Amino acid sequence: MSSVQSTQTDSAPSGRLSWRRMSPSTSLSWRAFRRSWQAYALLSPIFALLIVFVYYPPILGLIRAFFRWRPGVPATFVGLDNFVTYFTYAETPHELVNIVKLLVFGLFAGIVMPFIMAELIFFVRSPALKELYRLLVIIPMLVPGIVTVLLWQKLYDPYLGPINDMLRAMGLDQFALNWLGEHRIAIYAIMFVGFPWVWGVGTLIYLGGLGQISESVYEAAALDGCTGVGRVMRIDIPLVLGQVRLLAILAIINAITAFQNILVLTDGGPGFSTMVPGLTMFHSAFRAQKFGYSSAIGLLLFIIAMSGTLIINRGIRPANEELRQ
Amino acid sequence: MTTDLKRSPNRRPLQMSQLGLHLLIAFLLLLSLVPTVIMINLSFKNGLQYRWERWTLSLPLRGSNYLSAWDVIDAYMINTVLVAVVGLAGVLILSLIGGYVFARMRFPLREPLYYAIIALLMVPWVLSFIPAYMLYNNLGLLNTRWALIIPNVAGGPIFGIFLMRAFITGIPEELYESARCDGAGAWSLIWRITFPLSLPGLATLSVLNFVAEWNSFLWPLVTISDMSKQVISVGLFRLSRTTNDSVDFGSGGPLFAGYVLASIPLVILFIVLGKFYVEGLVESGIKM
Repeated sequence: MSSVQSTQTDSAPSGRLSWRRMSPSTSLSWRAFRRSWQAYALLSPIFALLIVFVYYPPILGLIRAFFRWRPGVPATFVGLDNFVTYFTYAETPHELVNIVKLLVFGLFAGIVMPFIMAELIFFVRSPALKELYRLLVIIPMLVPGIVTVLLWQKLYDPYLGPINDMLRAMGLDQFALNWLGEHRIAIYAIMFVGFPWVWGVGTLIYLGGLGQISESVYEAAALDGCTGVGRVMRIDIPLVLGQVRLLAILAIINAITAFQNILVLTDGGPGFSTMVPGLTMFHSAFRAQKFGYSSAIGLLLFIIAMSGTLIINRGIRPANEELRQ
Repeated sequence: MTTDLKRSPNRRPLQMSQLGLHLLIAFLLLLSLVPTVIMINLSFKNGLQYRWERWTLSLPLRGSNYLSAWDVIDAYMINTVLVAVVGLAGVLILSLIGGYVFARMRFPLREPLYYAIIALLMVPWVLSFIPAYMLYNNLGLLNTRWALIIPNVAGGPIFGIFLMRAFITGIPEELYESARCDGAGAWSLIWRITFPLSLPGLATLSVLNFVAEWNSFLWPLVTISDMSKQVISVGLFRLSRTTNDSVDFGSGGPLFAGYVLASIPLVILFIVLGKFYVEGLVESGIKM
């Protein structure tokens, strides 16, 4: 978000005035519009595509959340029925509990672990090894996302998977469980995918943030005897709060709206134990053809994710920009 | 890590703490790389080796798994490249034009129009997914490659314009002044000056966009029913489901060889565009 604001201030090139600074009478007159026909002509294909394919669908979704809507049948207005149906659906509380679990865990895996990894790499003295570690953090990201999930499915395989092979080799046969097939464990097995969660974009984002901290800040801190863990707590963390905020927002949106991994690993099962609202949205549309109901769940998820984003935006205030290079 | 590394007159604790640091990092990296290593190891095994010596290296390596895998997934790979490249071309052109217009041209309503585009970054896909499907259904685009290309060409420039505007703003104004004196119009200012100077920005955008397309799964899963037009993610997903016990593919090795093959375009992109690849990944985080 902060980068959006910074481009706003940079955006008026020298010798040019932004429209705000021009008096409204000149800037919004017909003459000014006609003189600028070139800019509008260049933007017109962009806006044409945006209006049809990007603006229209979410607006349509907002409206159709209040309709009964199936392909090939005229939509009928049903008021709040779709929402009432979802909130009175027996599995809903369970789905919301799952989202809370995924959220708490997602914040840990998305914010804390990448930070620890970034700090560890940041503390390395040798520039060559630093570079090597950064490279190795990227390697798992060169595997397509779906392949990573399918690989984890293999790791969890109760009969052929290495996790259970290892447990049996250690004589811990009673712990060799059907990880994705048992009601109590499946949701945690889904969370565990990607362990130890240090290879994502998060580590790179933190490394970028730590690299921006001015050397003079560290020198001043070292003079005051503030090094090591003390420095991390009192200097690094306050100065990467911008990155923390970004990753927190990503983790929240992901926990609330993402269901791709669950769809692939368990499809909500066993039973309904790993169902989340996003997957219910998906199933109601593409299996039950209830597109109005599905849009209503989409709207609910949007509202929850948006509120989370706003809370984080208010709650985390990045430290002074002057301490960066 | 001791708290007073730098003040210690003795260098040994420092060396020790650095050693501990390296060990810890190596351990975390090792754990992160386990699935990748297992994937590569399994991709070289025949049926018996897959059954009995899954977790050790078994010789001879069965390279023919890659040929069997390619025979099955070649169409998915080609489809994905085709769709991603055509879409990317559109995204780059529109982002360059949009970035130039918002960075360099002066016109009424510039900022409101810019924010009307940037605001779309805040709309999570979850709100548009279902209605977008219905829109493509009504337009008769389901099960055509357009269903995969159009969303990218229409939606890709949102972040692209944000990125390119910031980039093009950094190009010195003098270059434009002299070209304008020579009578260059907006079109030639874009293609003759802005385009060659914004190649690094376009490279970052290309990586970001291509990786996202290569990974896209849910949208092609629902919009493309004809497997001959399907993309790699969905193709591999279906293979992992249907061929578990079939003789030719499901003996294990070839499926994992397919996973490795699906990673190769990303590896090539990373080798060729290294720095831009990392930037693209970081930007993709910011993009949400």
